[in-house]
Amino acid sequence: MRKVAIVGAGMTKFVRRALETPKELSYEAAKITLDSCGLTLEDVECIAHGTAPDAFDGLHQNGEYMVDGCGGWNKPTMRVYVGGGTGIHAVVHGWHHVASGLFDTCLVVCEEKMSSALPHAQAFFLTIFDSITERPLEPNLLWIFALEMNRYMERYGYTKEDMALVAVKNKLNGLKHPASQFTEEVTVEDVVNSEMMAYPVSRLDVSPVSDGAAALLLVSERVARRLTDKPVWIEGVGWSLDTAYWATRDLYYPRYTDTAARMAYEMAGIREPDKEIHIAEPYDPFGYKALHHMEGLQLSPRGKTVQLLHDGHFDIDGNLPMCPSGGLLGVGNPIAAAGTMKVCELFWQLRGEADGRQVPGNPRLGVAQSWGDLMQVSSVVVTGI
Amino acid sequence: MAIMERNSRNIDNRYWNPGFKAFPVKNVYTAGAAGQRFFEEIKNNSKILGSRCEKCELTYVPARIYCERCFNRLEEKNWIDVGTEGTIYSYTLLFQTQNGEPRENPAVMVAVRIADGLLIHRLGEFSAADLEIDKPVKAKFKPKEKRKGCIEDIDYFKPIK
Repeated sequence: MRKVAIVGAGMTKFVRRALETPKELSYEAAKITLDSCGLTLEDVECIAHGTAPDAFDGLHQNGEYMVDGCGGWNKPTMRVYVGGGTGIHAVVHGWHHVASGLFDTCLVVCEEKMSSALPHAQAFFLTIFDSITERPLEPNLLWIFALEMNRYMERYGYTKEDMALVAVKNKLNGLKHPASQFTEEVTVEDVVNSEMMAYPVSRLDVSPVSDGAAALLLVSERVARRLTDKPVWIEGVGWSLDTAYWATRDLYYPRYTDTAARMAYEMAGIREPDKEIHIAEPYDPFGYKALHHMEGLQLSPRGKTVQLLHDGHFDIDGNLPMCPSGGLLGVGNPIAAAGTMKVCELFWQLRGEADGRQVPGNPRLGVAQSWGDLMQVSSVVVTGI
Repeated sequence: MAIMERNSRNIDNRYWNPGFKAFPVKNVYTAGAAGQRFFEEIKNNSKILGSRCEKCELTYVPARIYCERCFNRLEEKNWIDVGTEGTIYSYTLLFQTQNGEPRENPAVMVAVRIADGLLIHRLGEFSAADLEIDKPVKAKFKPKEKRKGCIEDIDYFKPIK
């Protein structure tokens, strides 16, 4: 397989309600990405794009609808979809296109417009559950994840205040991100005292509903060397799905993340991820999920993660900065675009272009991970310079 | 052997029917950055706008904010009034409703070519002889007070006599 580099990245602002259509959001992110590396659509050989459930944008076959906004006119174009895992899975998908030798350039575009769904995008999740054994009980992701969060807290003796600290730190990081939809700092008290949605999940433990798009340009080594002296290499990719019988799993440990991460680390030649990785962008739709995923990513010993969080280990100037972008909690969560945003963040951080939120000490190796489907999939990308 | 056994009584396949629990969500849509302007122009000024990419020598109708072929941004200067006339690029007669029920009089749907773009619409005020590919047609707008800023602000296209 050939080496694959990221040479351009771009994204729209993440907002609660965008005027732009899904196509137009995709166009904006894709256009900025091409402009950022001085290329035009003519230079793009293929498109790998993604959105999460069609239902959010309210367009069945959303991939086909979005194609021209993603730059796919008359080009080999393929959409991937693994729910919330889509944003990074699309990057893995784009990596395949270039690593295989089939293409030298691939534009990756992910988009989500959740404001189309009324009264709330959450209700569309009703049909992802088993239609006979679970759906009559009207599950939604808030209370399904509440079950997981409760189990995780119980297993290691973590408190609601511990979990709230993730939202506090990520939202603080997000304030420095120009695309963030937030404007205010929050405290642990604010999070714990925010509206209880499904115990133990309070409103500020959860990322918001957002519209937005993010994109990356992936190229072969030969093209990368011609384009830039600062390519960011995709060192490893991994993905994995666990069973949809979600309650038969250890809800306190994301084995699918473990498997996906080990696959990516092996490809990247990483033996001790907690020592070698400089930046982590774990998927953080809920505060507890960031910690859950840090454990699955082998970046924090199980049960010790909260202590490390309190000690500042995961702060921007800590040993292993977590979600320097602000993550989904701090920037916003247009599902598929949010995952791709995490790889954009690694691109900017490793090139030293992250401005006010730049991780100090010239970071050289980062990992981004997204999670989705029936809380069963992880997609992981390791990038390095 | 489950699926290999023929089951002639559907009732033997037990099912759960959500019944009164209607799917509790709906979608709303924005017209978009281009669509907002396109439909406001129809509503307020009875004008159809296209956007032209000079590089690709293409005029998109409805107007867009980007050229899908070269990704150039189609800005203010690229937006043009393309008039309200076009030609029938293709047509069809609908003999059934959406539900498959017979229609008393078939509805005629046309693909109207305007500049390099296409509007799908109904045909009205026509005779059988007008049903012809490449026939020139013109937009018939609803009265201003009935317009809402949507595709149905054009009532139908009609042949130009």
